[in-house]
Amino acid sequence: MYRLVTPLFFLAVGIGFLVATLNLPKARLGDPNAPLYFPAMITILLILLSVIYFFQEFKHRKEEFKELKILLSGRMPFLIISTIVMSFIYTFLFERIGFLFSTMVFLGGLLFIINGTKKWLVNILVAVLFSGIAWYSFGILLKVSLP
Amino acid sequence: MGVDFSVFMEGLMTALEPINLLWVAIGGFLGTVVGMLPGLGPATAVALLIPVTFGMEPTSALVLMAAIYYGAMYGGSRSSILLNTPGDGSAIAATFDGYPMTQKGQAGQALAISAIASLIGGLVAMVGFIVLAKPLASFALKFGPAEYFLLMVFTLSAIVALSKGAMVKGFIAMTIGLLVSTMGIDLQTGVHRFTFDMPALSEGVDFLIVIIGIYAVGEVLYNYITIDKPVNKAHKGMGKIWITKEQWKRTKWPMIRNAPLGFVVGVLPGAGGAIASMLSYTTEKQISKNPDEFGKGEIVGVAAPESSNNAAAVGAFIPMLTMGIPGSGTTAVILGALIMLGLRPGPLLFENNPEMVWTFVNSMFIGNIFLVILNILMVGLLVKILKTPPKVLYPLILVLAFIGTYTLSYNVIDFYILVIFGLLGLVMKLLKFPIAPLILAAIVGSDMEQNFRKSIVGNDGISEVLFASPITITLLILTVLSLMYPFIVSWLKNRKVQEAE
Repeated sequence: MYRLVTPLFFLAVGIGFLVATLNLPKARLGDPNAPLYFPAMITILLILLSVIYFFQEFKHRKEEFKELKILLSGRMPFLIISTIVMSFIYTFLFERIGFLFSTMVFLGGLLFIINGTKKWLVNILVAVLFSGIAWYSFGILLKVSLP
Repeated sequence: MGVDFSVFMEGLMTALEPINLLWVAIGGFLGTVVGMLPGLGPATAVALLIPVTFGMEPTSALVLMAAIYYGAMYGGSRSSILLNTPGDGSAIAATFDGYPMTQKGQAGQALAISAIASLIGGLVAMVGFIVLAKPLASFALKFGPAEYFLLMVFTLSAIVALSKGAMVKGFIAMTIGLLVSTMGIDLQTGVHRFTFDMPALSEGVDFLIVIIGIYAVGEVLYNYITIDKPVNKAHKGMGKIWITKEQWKRTKWPMIRNAPLGFVVGVLPGAGGAIASMLSYTTEKQISKNPDEFGKGEIVGVAAPESSNNAAAVGAFIPMLTMGIPGSGTTAVILGALIMLGLRPGPLLFENNPEMVWTFVNSMFIGNIFLVILNILMVGLLVKILKTPPKVLYPLILVLAFIGTYTLSYNVIDFYILVIFGLLGLVMKLLKFPIAPLILAAIVGSDMEQNFRKSIVGNDGISEVLFASPITITLLILTVLSLMYPFIVSWLKNRKVQEAE
């Protein structure tokens, strides 16, 4: 039954956006409804498609949901969640401690998570060198203003 | 056909400027490297390297991105042939006979013929480009808002229809992309749409972040599935990196005849390298005197699809440059980056910046030759890069994705949007949702809406828009046909089966 979650999710997105579309403020210039025609068309289409998708999946509801199994097998959940957590840490640190050090933390962290702790020397070297090279090439050569 | 020779020469001269030669070399090399990584294709390569183009001349940026694109096409075949792991759809056909050749100890010959075939495919397609691009651009000048709106509808539906039996999923992906494009302040009326009172969303979601999120972050997350599996080892015995006279004799016609085929498929919206190379492979197998050899290391089975997919890559630039409407994921990404640089590809590009177009064509010519040399002389180095463990590469790609996002807006809030689209990309890949419709819709969505609204103002009501001119009616018919295409194909298949019985 888990496979019905995706079509229901898209259905919810469609309905949510349709409600938001109908509540859009009216335009002061020209046709007051001009901003909502296009989104309304899309959201109605999305709702229709989600319903079709729902019935397509409904036919297969008793079959095994392989995709979910893949997502939950082995190190997958751990890797995905730690990547998200590392991204949040990176977002938090980026402007506070600057590009160079936050990137070392982010890259180093990811390497330790993905590549394992046994290869700590490689991880540290790659994190430090790559952060330095990225900082030099983007910050200095391409003149991107990095924190 | 109106190719001005002096403008052509001017383009050649600009392409030969040291800085542009350098970009071709850098782009070709970087593209090859990213394209070689298992699971990563040309769209990811261009998406990752977008920040490098900021601050560049639009011409140089186009030259660089095109080089990354065809570099990634060359690179994709390296990993197909050596490791049996194609980087993306268009490199799949190269595994059929390329990998068996490697197993037989003929990796060198397979790599050589793939490079030569790619060059021939690219060159033939460039002739096609020169012949077709200008007339198509002049034709597109006749397009008004209604025509553009329907052209976009047709392109989107064609892309969805060709996404192999996943029409509903493809259209869902498309609507999500279109919804993303409507977020932010409405340009005509100033109404805030779907910003959920978040100031960061008032300018909408930058489609480049969508692209980087889905193609770079999403791909890395998806590749976590195979990260702990042992990597296929490249066989040691490469053999000589060249082909024999006899092999040349057998492959030269397949390479030449599949190039126009690939080119035409590439020009069509939605089709592209994957379909072109498959089509070439099956055609050559059907007309071959010894079809049983296909799949066992037949060199024609490498030459034909490799010529065809590179020709398709060149062809794919035509709708993007002449009408501003990309027909594939990768050209959509390139279009996105060009818009970012303030350049609007479309029919006027050929009127206003002809030298830019011809610089681009000439640089593709130079780039293809450069890549053959790179791929043949430096094959040892490339194979070494291929041995870099993915466990180290994927974190690097993630970092590049974040840097790229930051350079777009200098706002870390966008990192959250990046991660959200990365997760969406992962789920879509996992559930086999086609990705190109979403990307394309996110890029053309805002234009599509503007054209729709303009054409409604110009005509009375939607039916007037649809039947505004012979062009719109033709596009409407094409759209309907493209929607029926999967049903027609399955009907034909059923009939064949019945006849066989």
